[in-house]
Amino acid sequence: MFLLSKRGLLLLLPVLMLIISCGGDLNDNTVVLAVGGAPSEIDFWEKTASECEEKTGIKLQLIRQPTDTDQRRQNLVTSLRARKSTPDIFLMDVAWIAQFAASEWLEPLEPYMKKHNLPVESFFEPVVRQADTYNDKLIALPVYVDGGLLYYRKDLLQKYGYSGPPATWDELVSCALKITEEERKKNRNFTGFVWQGAQYEGLVCNFLEFASSNNGGIVLSESQPVFDTEQNRKAVKFMRDLIHTHKLSPSNTYTNMKEEEVRLVFQNGNALFERNWPYAWKIHQASDSPVKNKTGVSLLPHFEGGKPAAALGGWHIGLSRFSKNKENAFTCIDYILSSEVQTEFVTSLGWNSGRVDIYDNVEVQKTIPHAEILKNVFRHAVTRPLVPHYSYMSSVLQRYLNAVMAGRMELDKAFTECESELGKIVSQYSNQ
Amino acid sequence: MSKKQRNISSDFLWIAGFLFPGIAFLVIFILIPVFGTLFTSLISDITFMKRQWAGLDNYIRLFNDSAFRQSLGFTILFILVSVPLETVSGMGLALLMHVKSPFRGVIRAIILIPWAIPAAVTGRIWEVIYNVNYGLANYLVSMAGFDPVNWLGTASGAFIAIVLADLWKTMPFVAIILLAGLSSIPETLYQQARIDGASFVKRFFSITLPLLRPVIVVALLFRTIDALRIFDLIYILTSGGPGGSTTSLSLLGYKYFIGGDYGYGSTLSVVIFLCAFLLSLVVIRLGQFSREVS
Repeated sequence: MFLLSKRGLLLLLPVLMLIISCGGDLNDNTVVLAVGGAPSEIDFWEKTASECEEKTGIKLQLIRQPTDTDQRRQNLVTSLRARKSTPDIFLMDVAWIAQFAASEWLEPLEPYMKKHNLPVESFFEPVVRQADTYNDKLIALPVYVDGGLLYYRKDLLQKYGYSGPPATWDELVSCALKITEEERKKNRNFTGFVWQGAQYEGLVCNFLEFASSNNGGIVLSESQPVFDTEQNRKAVKFMRDLIHTHKLSPSNTYTNMKEEEVRLVFQNGNALFERNWPYAWKIHQASDSPVKNKTGVSLLPHFEGGKPAAALGGWHIGLSRFSKNKENAFTCIDYILSSEVQTEFVTSLGWNSGRVDIYDNVEVQKTIPHAEILKNVFRHAVTRPLVPHYSYMSSVLQRYLNAVMAGRMELDKAFTECESELGKIVSQYSNQ
Repeated sequence: MSKKQRNISSDFLWIAGFLFPGIAFLVIFILIPVFGTLFTSLISDITFMKRQWAGLDNYIRLFNDSAFRQSLGFTILFILVSVPLETVSGMGLALLMHVKSPFRGVIRAIILIPWAIPAAVTGRIWEVIYNVNYGLANYLVSMAGFDPVNWLGTASGAFIAIVLADLWKTMPFVAIILLAGLSSIPETLYQQARIDGASFVKRFFSITLPLLRPVIVVALLFRTIDALRIFDLIYILTSGGPGGSTTSLSLLGYKYFIGGDYGYGSTLSVVIFLCAFLLSLVVIRLGQFSREVS
């Protein structure tokens, strides 16, 4: 009787709420996909999800994640570590794939691909080989791929008598010095070259490009990283000089230059060159953009004796080992990776497909006039070390590289200390 | 069963019923996680490696970790600089809010706004203020005829920038707590002091400050613990840069959690917990000591 009284009900209320909030996982045929990103991206996924249901009959439900890459990762790590059955499929940044794979959270995809007649050759070979294969198992597939590009002001290069974008870094410096000197008379804020130098993952990507274009990079020899090399020192010195000696890159390069900050400087007409991912193209070409039809795209320059390099970025789709719905989940993956959806990706979002055949599509070539250049970029992409403890290596690299960019640490000291810190991390996280 | 007995058992049911949610909350959301973290800090719990007992390995690792030393140094310095500043300026605001004037309501509302804004938004606001190219700070600097400054570009600049942003955000919090204390001081004390000819300064140091001491201790306690685990503001304003110089302990721990090393991440959390515990003891002790003296 007590529990049925008014006051008793008052007590029951929190208990009921507790029960309701502990609702179980979905157990029907619904497949849950975790996606994040900008609102336009989410809109696109929502459209894709409803079309997927029409075409395949499988309900694809979205989990909306934040825009921030770290938060998306944390979100997934929490679910997977708890062995939750949802999300069944999710997008991963290339930098996490090794950790997810080594944690045994990802289902090998080859058996499903055979069943669904999805040949691995549909995708860029270097991407699949370098980023999606762990311990000889294919555990992810590219949904969109990214590579660093050089954006330049066509109109300004022409005005000062340059026939095309610079091929080497030295050419970039001399060209930018000449043009910025003149342009600064009209626009105090005009700057030569903007790139990502804040203390975050983007800095490591930029470093990899500078270093690889000088035949450097991070080599994992017998699982011990080799970082302190002449090639890398020269590349890092060049990055620092861009800011401090040539003064071609603004002083906030090492404080708040991330993708969007960099894009905005270029977009507002305040930079001659920009290093960014392919997504910037569509925004630069928007109708209200001050640099519309003034922007050119090219491979990044290289050092004398090196070749252009693009850091491989992008998002890859994986199938959770804990999914209770793997067959249906792969059907959805198959649909997302189909030519039609992938073409939509390019034409409506400006993302780049991991599928090779997309770039020969006429619609795509109309949207991206530089489709051929992109194809070239993805064939020459350099990946970040595919090791599960990569994020710790990265945060050490970020710390030291950023300290050099900020002029807080001498090159010598940074390289010696950074290499020893990297060694510590590798021995800490290598299997005993 | 007599009526009295029934009342007792029904009272007991009532009390237990009302206590249960609170106790359950404490146990589920505070006690279990704290001990869970303590336990995790003693194992090598890395998502991509075999889980195994590590004993004090994670704690030993702290001593060789230059990133940890840097973070600890930053966090301690941040507490030592920001908490006293916030308390003193919070006191000023509280006195201002306590003054009886026709604008009292408006003044209180304006002062409280920064506290009502989420820390993440505060971070964004200050990021725009400090921006080299279009920030308000550099606009003022260029109006005064100087070259633009890269506020977040040096370790000391970024430190001061974070302290200022945090000061702006948390002064109102200290002010509210102190205001509550101020309101509880009987007006008659001031009247008597005034009759005795005590000046405003004299009244402040002889009446207000001593009577506010317990409240100040509470404010200090909250602020110290909050400053110790500062995360959101830094995450947005500097992400720990430049060169890792503003990576607070919680930001460092967070980085280990997302990288998959739960053991070491938990160890860092335990360190923060222990620091908070010790600091609280110190602050509470200081409060009691001063009470005995007065």
